[in-house]
Amino acid sequence: MIKVLNTLIAVVAGVGGALVVYWLLNFIAERLPGKWEDRVKPYLYLLPALAAIGIFLIYPVVQTVIYSFANQTSTQWVGFKNYTDLFQQKDFQITLVNTLLWILVVPVMVVILGLGVATLADRLRSRGERTAKTLIFLPMAVSGVALAAIWGFVYEVRPAGEPQVGILNGVVTALGHDPVAWLQESTFKLNTFMLMVVLIWAQVGFSMVLLSAAIKGVPDDTLEAARIDGANEAQVFFRVVVPQIWSTVITVFVTTVINVMKVFDVVYVMTGGNFNTNVIAVRFFNELITNGNAGRAAAIVVVLVIAVIPLMIYQVRHFRAEEAAR
Amino acid sequence: MGKRKAIRRVALAAAVALGASACLSSNSGSSGGSGSGSKSGDGNVEVVFGFGGSQSAGFRAAFTDWEKTSGIKIKFTEASQSFDTLIRTRVAANNVPDIALFPQPGILKDFVAQGKMTDLSTQLDVNKLQSDLIPGVLDAGKVGDKFYGVPVSYNVKSLVFYPKKAWQAAGYKIPQTQAELTALTNQIKSQGKTPWCLGIAAGSATGWPATDWLEDYMLRTAGPQKYDDWVSHKIPFNDPTVKTAAQAFENLVLSNGNVLGGRKGAVSTNFATAGNPMFNSTPSCWMLKQGNFITQKGFFPDKIVANLDSEVGVFYFPGESASDRPVLGGGDLAAVFNGKDDDTKKVMAFMTGPDFPGWNENAGFLSPRKDWDLNKYQTQVTKQIAVIGKNASVFRFDGSDQMPGAVGSGSFWKGMTAWISGQQSLDQALQSIEQSWPS
Repeated sequence: MIKVLNTLIAVVAGVGGALVVYWLLNFIAERLPGKWEDRVKPYLYLLPALAAIGIFLIYPVVQTVIYSFANQTSTQWVGFKNYTDLFQQKDFQITLVNTLLWILVVPVMVVILGLGVATLADRLRSRGERTAKTLIFLPMAVSGVALAAIWGFVYEVRPAGEPQVGILNGVVTALGHDPVAWLQESTFKLNTFMLMVVLIWAQVGFSMVLLSAAIKGVPDDTLEAARIDGANEAQVFFRVVVPQIWSTVITVFVTTVINVMKVFDVVYVMTGGNFNTNVIAVRFFNELITNGNAGRAAAIVVVLVIAVIPLMIYQVRHFRAEEAAR
Repeated sequence: MGKRKAIRRVALAAAVALGASACLSSNSGSSGGSGSGSKSGDGNVEVVFGFGGSQSAGFRAAFTDWEKTSGIKIKFTEASQSFDTLIRTRVAANNVPDIALFPQPGILKDFVAQGKMTDLSTQLDVNKLQSDLIPGVLDAGKVGDKFYGVPVSYNVKSLVFYPKKAWQAAGYKIPQTQAELTALTNQIKSQGKTPWCLGIAAGSATGWPATDWLEDYMLRTAGPQKYDDWVSHKIPFNDPTVKTAAQAFENLVLSNGNVLGGRKGAVSTNFATAGNPMFNSTPSCWMLKQGNFITQKGFFPDKIVANLDSEVGVFYFPGESASDRPVLGGGDLAAVFNGKDDDTKKVMAFMTGPDFPGWNENAGFLSPRKDWDLNKYQTQVTKQIAVIGKNASVFRFDGSDQMPGAVGSGSFWKGMTAWISGQQSLDQALQSIEQSWPS
């Protein structure tokens, strides 16, 4: 009951507060003489949003960059020491390589699989299409930690002779082999790839939905024209469909890349970054929480931010070009 | 276009202004004084602790009567999954509790170095405590010559559990020395059985059970003096004596056929259930070295826990000779943030005093006081463990818990995991732990 009441009060106060703020801003603008009212008003209306971005986004970013040049309790300057220390650690180098692998593999697989599923589902009757898409979209609704726990069971290993719980080792032992500790197999980065499977599984649904919508938006007459001209199905797909949905492909790709750069839960839950599977976000968490080293943690974040910026710029440009073309 | 440029300039200027205003906080964190904890003399004391389940319930219940007589209200903040995260975040935000029970002195020492903790001699009669408590347990909270944490509970880690019935049927004898333990291991193996159970998987804390093994061997093969030097980093982490200790562990447990599931099996087996194969109809493994917490509900199978005294046997993980009885253990160290509150002093005095009823119903915790009546423990197994603790020739607090957080709950766990799993050689693992030691 109290909770309901609190929620009500929060909603009323929040909405009311916002109204009052805008009413005040409007009031101020109206006091201004003649032309100035129209000039200033838009900016006054933007002010709350800008302030929110400033306080919750720009200020923390700036502060993080500053802290990355300070010691572990952020009380003394240490110059570039945090960065040089990091890049000299073999551990961190492995972490960077792993993160790079994630970036190279996962978005491409997500796009390819999403495109494949979307194309195939498009050929089904509407009922089959709906069922197939729903099933493939379902993992999107599962939280990252639950996802990792579920796949943890898939890769589960028990000592030889004990009953195997994990499906993979169930198959392996049924075929007469010894159980394999999948997540510990770091040869050829096998375990890192097995972790990627988890994220791909979760992300394909998202990719499929967007790409499927795009495919449905491709005008039928272009397909017919190509077929009349003698194109086979592969040519129709790669030369007619794909170019027309390319902008959606890019959007899916870039969004997935950004998600992948931040990947944390899957790795943290399944291996904790052990067995050479560490990624940059887990490393950041360990540096901040386990090691209590704010400076180095900030430096890791700055590295991550710098790595994301080019992609953001690319996406914004791409988006603008789209807008302009429309 | 000119307009847009102007806007960009304004945005840039705003960012710069923000940047300029943001500078390093000049260590204004009030050192356990004003603004932290509850107000003095208001009858409220906040206690943060990191244990859960029945331990938490027992701990809370211990205060019920006392709260009425003393008029002090305790606010319990349980952080059973994330003590480190919680306490670090709150200290960073300068929103500290009055008292925290630190399971790891390493983090406590980090805060002492930052000037956040209170010297306990201003709170308690430390000299009296030193004679009241089991020798050695108080040293865990010592920095320099001052005490910052006092154990309100302690636990014993130098223990080996075995399946009592199957063990008696097989006619095995309790080993009194390391040599006898090795002989027993070989005897079990020669009968086609797997001697040791081992599981070091523990989610994000994977690796810690292996650190206990290494520490117990450091106490035995290198001795308490070297052990202290190692823990306080007077000798490097990869000192030859450490390698010797690790090899002793490797020879006894990790060599081929000695451990259930092999090395990789040990890494992927959860510590909590690692001992359960001992209670299969024919045991899949015969010995589990683990701290006394493992006898609580929720670790061994329920029907075993229900009949603990008839199903589970325990013996002291032996020293090099029968008279050499070092014991490795741990505990929760009560430490004070706000030293100016008389209510806090009263709570500390009660928790560390003889009348604290906290631990009798919990197999997981032992009282660190010498005058504690052993008959209050409810199982023979717990009583036996308490006797092992009392008879220790030396007591040493868990080393990894005393090391700086970056090592003790970071690279040490990860290094042991990488070594046992085979990603790194022993030398590489020890070296990478050494390199991670904060300067």
